[in-house]
Amino acid sequence: MTGASRPAAPRPVELPRILGDIHPRPRWTETRLLLVVAVALVVGSISLGAGLTGRLAPYEPTLLVIYLVTLAGAHVANVLAGRRSDEVLLPVVGLLGGISLLLMQRLPQDLVTIDVAGSTLGLGAVQLIWLVLAIIVATTLGIVVRSDSWLRQYKYTWAAAGIALLLLTFVFGTDVAGQRLSLRIGPFAGQPSELLKVILVVFLAGYLSENRSLLIEQDTRIGPIRLPPLPYLAPMVAMWAIALLIVVVQRDLGAALLFFAVFLALVYAATGRISLVVIGAILFFAGSALMANIFPHVRDRIDIWLDPFADPLGSGYQVVQSLLAFARGGLIGVGLGEGLPTVGGRPPIPEVHTDFPLAALGEELGLVGVIAILGLFFVVIERGLRIGAAAADDFRAILATGLALVVGVQAFIIAAGNLKVLPLTGVTLPFVSYGGSSLLVNAIVVGLLLALSDRGVEPPPPPSGVRRWRDRLRPRRAR
Amino acid sequence: MLVTGTRKRPLGRTIVHVAVVLALAFGVLAGAGGYWAVVRSSDLSQSPYDPAVIAASRRVPRGDIIDRDGNVLTHNEKDANGELYRSYSGDEISHVVGYASPRYGRVGLELAYDAELSGLAGDPLADALRKFGTNPYDPKDLHLSMSWDLQRASVSALGSHRGAVVMLDPRNGEVLALASTPTYDASAITNPATADRAFQSLRDDAAQPLLPRATLGRYVPGSVFKIVTAIAGLGSRAITPDTTYKEQPPAEKDGLLVEGFRIRDGHHPQTGDALLDLTSATEVSCNIWYALTGLETGGEQLVAYADRLGFGSSIPFDLPTAPSQVTNESGSAPGGFVDDVELANAAYGQGETFVTPFQMALVASTIANGGDLMKPRIVTSISGRNGSRQIGPSPMAHVLAPNDAAAINRAMVRAVEGPLGRQFTTGAKVPGVTTAGKSGTAELGGRGEPHSWFIGFAPAESPTVAIAVLVEQAGRGAEVAAPIAGRLLAKALETQR
Repeated sequence: MTGASRPAAPRPVELPRILGDIHPRPRWTETRLLLVVAVALVVGSISLGAGLTGRLAPYEPTLLVIYLVTLAGAHVANVLAGRRSDEVLLPVVGLLGGISLLLMQRLPQDLVTIDVAGSTLGLGAVQLIWLVLAIIVATTLGIVVRSDSWLRQYKYTWAAAGIALLLLTFVFGTDVAGQRLSLRIGPFAGQPSELLKVILVVFLAGYLSENRSLLIEQDTRIGPIRLPPLPYLAPMVAMWAIALLIVVVQRDLGAALLFFAVFLALVYAATGRISLVVIGAILFFAGSALMANIFPHVRDRIDIWLDPFADPLGSGYQVVQSLLAFARGGLIGVGLGEGLPTVGGRPPIPEVHTDFPLAALGEELGLVGVIAILGLFFVVIERGLRIGAAAADDFRAILATGLALVVGVQAFIIAAGNLKVLPLTGVTLPFVSYGGSSLLVNAIVVGLLLALSDRGVEPPPPPSGVRRWRDRLRPRRAR
Repeated sequence: MLVTGTRKRPLGRTIVHVAVVLALAFGVLAGAGGYWAVVRSSDLSQSPYDPAVIAASRRVPRGDIIDRDGNVLTHNEKDANGELYRSYSGDEISHVVGYASPRYGRVGLELAYDAELSGLAGDPLADALRKFGTNPYDPKDLHLSMSWDLQRASVSALGSHRGAVVMLDPRNGEVLALASTPTYDASAITNPATADRAFQSLRDDAAQPLLPRATLGRYVPGSVFKIVTAIAGLGSRAITPDTTYKEQPPAEKDGLLVEGFRIRDGHHPQTGDALLDLTSATEVSCNIWYALTGLETGGEQLVAYADRLGFGSSIPFDLPTAPSQVTNESGSAPGGFVDDVELANAAYGQGETFVTPFQMALVASTIANGGDLMKPRIVTSISGRNGSRQIGPSPMAHVLAPNDAAAINRAMVRAVEGPLGRQFTTGAKVPGVTTAGKSGTAELGGRGEPHSWFIGFAPAESPTVAIAVLVEQAGRGAEVAAPIAGRLLAKALETQR
């Protein structure tokens, strides 16, 4: 399948049949935006070189060249495949990934090392490998996925797979720093909650699109409050329970917050019922308050959030160091490679490459850079929501919205944790944080969004028999 | 754009709502970024937890500390990581200069002037431009009044004894030497390669080499405290230089009975039944005369005059000093004494009286300077890129009228040069120079040998050096402290010439 994304394939005639005939189609918006991205990244690399070596030359340019060639390859593959998919997503995500590459090149290389064939790859090189794989995955999915039936028809299978994954992590997961986040299968270790968020969106898109009219139109009245039919609230309660279970067993506040926020947002997007969101939010806060009272680690997180400066060398250290990094950066930053003063050879913020890339970039690129990066994430959200709004049916609309939300809400949660807007949680900053599972899963999200945006994909199936029967009972409102 | 007329979908409206909420949320993030990066930037950037502040202290060479003869006492070396650490010219200066270690903190002048030496001392303009400059920090150099030469001589004069030497110029308060033994190798604490081992062994050493005895050690003063009693007696007009006590001669043999407690004199049979006055009582260090003077002066005045000399609280100085005390103020008698017995004992330095060698040097310095105590200082100027700042002489207290100071000066000369005094202060006399002084033998109540003390100054006519010498548990003042003081006074006068 990956062969499809190889731009260099000179004999298009021999490409696999699933692609159909080759009808190359120019994507000038994508071309122009990618050129801007390339210029920005080269300038960034030169700035980094000036900061680290004092010479006005790109810093270790090989990695950036490989990365830019991969982006160009993805673009060429899209053009050759003749897809009419979104032309903004790839450049925006590519810029975020490029910023990530520059940041990982700039951090101490021994934060992550992998031995491959006798040579040791440092943080920058390892991240580059994941970035290249992510671009290949996203582009391949964007080109190859021509039908959504494999997602649409098996929503309960997906849900079961997700729950199985969650249970596997509960039972076999390894504890890292008090959190049970990573699952190791053979030589591969990953964070299943990353994949789980996509499975959740797929399931919710299936469930909500099927039951949308029921959720909208039927009421259960409890006094003055109008609620949807009670049986259809079951998934909501199940979601709530799963979120709390994640907090209790995995101690992963970030994933719980992400799942629940995306869930509520999708319920609102599908039904337009604000009452459901309010009830869900109340449930979540009540649950959180309960957790805070029962579990000391939740309480600690909240105490640190309220006043990290109470214990600046102990529990509040990470957050304080993050805030100090933003403060050092100021409005325009200290420049790539000029910040992050090391003490004894160590970077000032622990886990800077996974949990605090925004703080590092905030120091070196300043408030201007932070707002630009937040802006890039918002563009990803906007493109995703736009794809959702323009989708051919409810399933695709909710799926696209949910995919955009998992990226956007996750970016918000970790950025907010870095900036002391929310308690700090251990989720990654999509496309920027170091980490294979994070990059690959977010690549899947981008790939699906690209596929969904393509007007050339297979049309959605006609409403199913069950739905037609239901519609006969209670006709839908006119569209 | 999201909702186009003909393709309008029911989902479009709610998706727009979601987009608006997310836009607001990202707006909040941008606002928070602005708060931390702009509003709080300047005050957080000076936080002691900021690694930039910590890293600067390791990357930017600290300023030099330079002695009065221009010897640079501190050096900046590079470790394996390329980070800077301090080394020092010698063990002798450790109790003054201290050390600046990333692991074990700062001590001494390295602590007291940390902001200046590291170059972080507040300069708002420099802070604002810091990110643009190549060398934005401006470490300052400290210029000391201390002479490395005299400091080395002081440490070597103390030899293997535990003790302290303080020398200062009574005319302006400049500290010439501030030695404590045993001393230690501060460079071993700052060098990352040896830091842990060196610090552990120094901390566990029973001889307490890390204690700056000159400024923080508190000792029973013995007879050197009599100068304080004389100052209080003359100053409060309780006595005159000619005051004699008819109780004194008979008490020489059987002791002086104060409220049932018998105060015995030291050993001076040479004076026989003679009535002693200030000068002759000081010459032979008569405990009876001074006990009577203390009682005559009263506790309140004794403590009041001691306080003028700096007792009762930390002495304002570049380095921390322990407060010296006349009494522990546990009693209700005037001045806080328990009774007249404690007062009489304190008057010759044996009550609940505890002093630092530094304080006793100020006592000698006050007499030497005609009753005016100059504020002691060891840093005389601070120089940086933008010029230097002098720390000029300033008076600390007017203690005594010049003629009263002159009377005590004469008595102290007799204590060193008089035919009887010589026997108590052997070796204190600087050849060819009129020398004034007072020895002390501080009894520790049967716990081993007494502390050996000497305070004095020279030349007596116009003193330029005042000194205090303490040697822990070394025996009589005459035998150990006095000859050390004589040698050091001679050396100091030689360097001043």
